[in-house]
Amino acid sequence: MVIFMKICISCGMPMMKKGDYPLEDESKDYCIYCARPDGTLQSYKEKLKGTTEFLIRTQGIDENAAHELAIRTLKKMPAWEHAESL
Amino acid sequence: MNQKTSRQLKKEQTKAALIETAYDIFSKKGIQGTRMSDIAAAANVSHGTVFLHFSTQEAFIAEVVQYYCNQIALRTHEYSDSCHSLRELLSAHLDGIMEYEPFYTRLVIESRMLPTEARDAFISVQSAISFHFSKALEREGLTSIPAGSLFNMWMGLVHYYLANGDLFAPEGNVIRRYKATLTDTFLSLMEKKD
Repeated sequence: MVIFMKICISCGMPMMKKGDYPLEDESKDYCIYCARPDGTLQSYKEKLKGTTEFLIRTQGIDENAAHELAIRTLKKMPAWEHAESL
Repeated sequence: MNQKTSRQLKKEQTKAALIETAYDIFSKKGIQGTRMSDIAAAANVSHGTVFLHFSTQEAFIAEVVQYYCNQIALRTHEYSDSCHSLRELLSAHLDGIMEYEPFYTRLVIESRMLPTEARDAFISVQSAISFHFSKALEREGLTSIPAGSLFNMWMGLVHYYLANGDLFAPEGNVIRRYKATLTDTFLSLMEKKD
């Protein structure tokens, strides 16, 4: 069986279940981790900060290296390919 | 109206064949040690044809690594998403690696030498598992040691065995042979930390 799933346009996470969507709204193209509490997409500034902190917290990466890695990673995502680096 | 011409289809097929062939050869011979001409010959195209699809060798490597790292990250996520315990997660992580073990091992060995884009793609695989790993630690109340340190301890263990697979499993299949040993050892360290 072929299962079609959406990939978050902001971070690339596969969205496989209702709980992966902001406010369980499956019409959204971004995941719960890229949304604000009201369900709207975070700004680039917010996402860059969150991604950098995630890399530091879960993989122990140096702050500057994590920041640079986050910039390069987000640049590849459809939501942020034209975003200006901070 | 949007149907692709046979020429466009042929072009896409050739590119896909080059990526697939590169994956096989990289898995066997390594990434940096493979010449573009070897891949072209194995894919039955001329050396020049490779450059119609990829501007440089670096761009070619980056695209192949990114394509398969996306596959590995997706697989890792699929396996990990339904895991509840840390044991289930570690097992799922190794299952994901096992499907791509020869290629993954080359990434482990050559990581620092890869083009930046390719290396970033490999790190994205680690991010996919570190996300689930940190959530599993929280669920099990294992919060006295920083999640990043525990994650790197696990990755260090797994990658050491893969990088030295010729010593640990000369027949190949490091993960299949050591899956239980690696997970049991890591989890027993967690139990003794208090």
